[in-house]
Amino acid sequence: MNISLNWLATHLDLAGKSIKEIDDLFTFAGVEVEGIVVEGITSEKIVVAQVMEAVQHPHADRLKVTHVDAGEGSLRQIVCGAQNYKVGDKVPCALPGTALPGGFTISETVMRKVESRGMLCSAAELGLPAGEDGLLILPADAKVGTPLKQMYESDVLLELEVTPNRPDLLSHRGMARELATLLKTPLKPLEIPSRSVGVAPTASIQIEAPAACPLYTAVRLSGVTVKDSPAWLKQRLEAIGQRPINNIVDVTNYVLHELGQPLHAFDAAKLTGGIVVRHAAEGEVFLALDESRHGLTPDDLLISDASGRALALGGVMGGADSGVTGETTEILLESAYFTPSNIRRTARRTALSSDSSYRFERGVDPAGVLAASALAVKLIVETAGGTAAATTLVAGAAPVLTRPVALDAAKLDQLMGGAIALAEAEAILTRLGLTKRSDATWEVPSFRADLQRHIDLVEEIARVHGLDNVPSRLQGCFVPASASDAAYDADMVLRRRLAALGLHECQTIKLIAAQQLADALLSRPLLEGDVIRVKLPLSEDHAVMRPSLVPGLIASAVRNVSQQVKSLRFFEMGRVFRNAGGGKAKDQESDALAILLAGPGAPFGWARSERNADLYDLKGLLSSLLGGREVRFAPKERPGFVLACDIKADAQVIGVFARLAPARERELDCTAPVYVAELDLTKVRKLLVGINHVADLPQFPGSSRDAAMELPLATANAQLENVIDKCAEPLLTAYECFDVFTDSTGARLPVDRKSVAYRFHYRAADRTLKSDEVDAAHQRVLGALGKDLGVKFR
Amino acid sequence: MPIAFPMKEHLGSIETEALAQIAAATHERALDDARVAVLGKKGSLTLAAAGIKDVPKEDKAAIGQLLNAARAAITAALEAKQAALREIADRAALAGIDATLPARGLPVGSLHPLTQIRDQAIGILRRMGFVLAEGPEIEDEFHCFDALNTPADHPARNEKDTFYFDSGKLLRTHTSSVQIRTMEAQAPPIRIIAPGSAYRRDEIDATHLSVFNQLEGLYVGRDVSLPDLKGTLEYFFRELFGTRTEVRFRPHFFPFTEPSFEIDVKLQIQGQAPRWIEVAGCGMVDPAVFDAINKSRKDQAFDPQTTTGFAFGMGLDRLAMIRWGIKDIRLLIENDVRFLKQFA
Repeated sequence: MNISLNWLATHLDLAGKSIKEIDDLFTFAGVEVEGIVVEGITSEKIVVAQVMEAVQHPHADRLKVTHVDAGEGSLRQIVCGAQNYKVGDKVPCALPGTALPGGFTISETVMRKVESRGMLCSAAELGLPAGEDGLLILPADAKVGTPLKQMYESDVLLELEVTPNRPDLLSHRGMARELATLLKTPLKPLEIPSRSVGVAPTASIQIEAPAACPLYTAVRLSGVTVKDSPAWLKQRLEAIGQRPINNIVDVTNYVLHELGQPLHAFDAAKLTGGIVVRHAAEGEVFLALDESRHGLTPDDLLISDASGRALALGGVMGGADSGVTGETTEILLESAYFTPSNIRRTARRTALSSDSSYRFERGVDPAGVLAASALAVKLIVETAGGTAAATTLVAGAAPVLTRPVALDAAKLDQLMGGAIALAEAEAILTRLGLTKRSDATWEVPSFRADLQRHIDLVEEIARVHGLDNVPSRLQGCFVPASASDAAYDADMVLRRRLAALGLHECQTIKLIAAQQLADALLSRPLLEGDVIRVKLPLSEDHAVMRPSLVPGLIASAVRNVSQQVKSLRFFEMGRVFRNAGGGKAKDQESDALAILLAGPGAPFGWARSERNADLYDLKGLLSSLLGGREVRFAPKERPGFVLACDIKADAQVIGVFARLAPARERELDCTAPVYVAELDLTKVRKLLVGINHVADLPQFPGSSRDAAMELPLATANAQLENVIDKCAEPLLTAYECFDVFTDSTGARLPVDRKSVAYRFHYRAADRTLKSDEVDAAHQRVLGALGKDLGVKFR
Repeated sequence: MPIAFPMKEHLGSIETEALAQIAAATHERALDDARVAVLGKKGSLTLAAAGIKDVPKEDKAAIGQLLNAARAAITAALEAKQAALREIADRAALAGIDATLPARGLPVGSLHPLTQIRDQAIGILRRMGFVLAEGPEIEDEFHCFDALNTPADHPARNEKDTFYFDSGKLLRTHTSSVQIRTMEAQAPPIRIIAPGSAYRRDEIDATHLSVFNQLEGLYVGRDVSLPDLKGTLEYFFRELFGTRTEVRFRPHFFPFTEPSFEIDVKLQIQGQAPRWIEVAGCGMVDPAVFDAINKSRKDQAFDPQTTTGFAFGMGLDRLAMIRWGIKDIRLLIENDVRFLKQFA
């Protein structure tokens, strides 16, 4: 909301207050100051000058060289580009040294080889409301040399954000009342004539919707002349960024911004009979004055005439053909109280909003309805002539929205930490317009319907007293750590390990495009009905909840590929969302960890040959992440991916691994294979739990035996490991594969065969093994391999 | 066979020859050969020593001395030569090493700036005795709005501002819903923080994301007061931004706290004059929230007559932007390596 400081000053004495002080005042009243614009002329060095001569600039077609009289005794030469003036006109002249509102300072200069000693200005250049293009032509009787600031009042425009609980601040009077409270200064009295009030006969006003409109008042004015508003009125409205329209509309706007009560003026000649305040019929169409059409519901409120024709969407906007025009001579001036929730629903349904609906939906002062009407009547008669009906017709009654509220001194003391004495707290309430009743409860003024409970009074006291005046206390209680604490700690361990392993942590957006679902790497595939889609996405790019982190990481990879980044090492931890069982189990949220590796793992350089990451890198990385735990991959196909495997650790599946399908890699312009893994974070966290008991170190030496084995190329290493594990040789403590040999030429080994070399470690806990014991154990293992897999030993 | 005199001569020539061979050795292998040729099982000196049994008795002592002297001289020469050769070899091995060549690099990773600021904030608050709490991001209207004293026709409860699902559920618009979840499950005292995502139907631009990160806090007990709120949050922001940071509380409005405040800290962002920057919202828990919780719990664990509390919430994306001078919030979700690696 915009507030003009000059306008505000008509309500209270702000003399001597700096803009900074006023800014702070609003800020600590709870009103956010979003902008401060100093308008008008503040410099002494912008003066009235008369153009005495203007000739074509010798080197520039569009410029003229002028000589102006700025009241200095001699003429001043100024180069000027404007075209709208003639010799003899009086125009504003900014003398060298002037800082203009645009932020630049005028200096003596040479323009295209011609000296220029100042600047002739347009209205916009001076920060005045912009008029026609070109120089601001001043009245002929302006005295040469006079500073313009004496002719144009400067003002400060405050752009304020009022919180929704304070509709009473949505006017100059309301703001002034608040500042007066904070400054402990009196408000200047309002000059509003009292008018006689009479109950409206139903032929004049009939309220059929009393819940939505408890109070409706109208005044008839005759013989008015619609024309431009007087300068003072235009200036007031322009100062807060409102465009003057005509005297009638301007008066209603003025009263709205002066008192906060929206008014509406109908052309009475266009009405058939009296006013009927009614609900709309289902599907009734309303044509608003901005020419938009709206289908209505019975919840919407219409102001219509006796014929049933809709004149206005109550409290929101006037109709297209009931308003004041240049020909209007008879006016019906509406001032009413509309119920906030009703206006809010209508404004939302129709997407119409106006200064009126903004105030009605927050709640206007029911007791201010008649005063606003009286002020408008006075101003219309002053600016448009004519006569007003002697009586304001009133239908319904102003609702009473306030009730007495008790202030509990003990609770106030507890909440404020004893920071304020009761007497001081009571003084604050009194300044805010509350009055203490004989039963010690507080009577709340009609414009503060937000004060309904004890805590509302405490808030006012705390706000006005200021948190600056409340002491700080540093204390708290002890509470036990939660499961979330343990999960967070585990996650941070994982994050730090992954960063130490050379991965960048990513954060991707949780709403993804439906097309990205093809990149989701899931242990349980998505069935029809498992995708969670928001009802009204901002765009199709962010339409479904991510069921997997992988699509986001792939998008991040693509972004970096386009920046010529070769080494892609990413991880992300966060929530994923899906339904399960084809939508049977709804809105399942779980935590996941995803990793993406592609391209060279180490920086390019002289000391190392470049090698693209492969799946064994990712496997090793997972093993390091899990404290050296063995990680096994069990192949399991996933659509859209190749080489897909379940990831197992400690004999349970903890996630899924895959390489993007090569076609997808090409589509994404990835030149290196892209490997991804997604892990169930809940399971991974459990693997981080440390040991309970340390193992004794071996007391006796062990021995190892190597074996080179030839077997079919298609035999998976896991099959070997399964056989070795199955034979459960008690002396075998560890084994590792240290060579894999294949020969695609077939020269040294048939192309469909491979040779793998294993080293087996044997040890007994209680003795040094004898050589023949080791040999016997080794033969048992090799025997099992030979028997189960037909391995040939070389 | 030879007698003493020729033996003496013989020993002399063995020594001369051996010393010459040692001197001529240019590498350790040649030196080893020399050692074997003289001192090995069939070496010249070993054989000569075997000949001592043929030396006349009266010469034995003298020849023995000569023999020992020759062995000592040869051994000393071998050792000296070995040391010399090793020194040369060591020097040669180091000669090609240029310490100024670039490193054999390892990949360097990083924690996302949001993780870093979140961890810092959580670290401070946990030291102050807060524990972590969480709740679902797909929420219902009760936990996101109703229980938080937000009227049914509040502007936030609007399909234009909030993401809804066909099920009637919604994406939580703030982490404040975790306050409700926690109070439903636990009785006072409660002292929790809840970091997490929140969602608003804002077009993504330089200052807005439709999914952003918040940190919520709640302290409920007996005699929790405005001084507690002020002390806690002043301490927190001074720990986060520096002990001399100015902190101010501006009155504000939130449906679920009363009185409510916004918190500004006075900070100097690089290249700008110090100014007040909004960093959080806070307030005393509105008694209407306790009423809603009691109704949901079907007990009076949060009796508004005796229970008080404060709550606060802050935008972590915003804190990260302030902390590192990040001008475009989208940098936080684009994961450009050139951006991320600065946080290594």
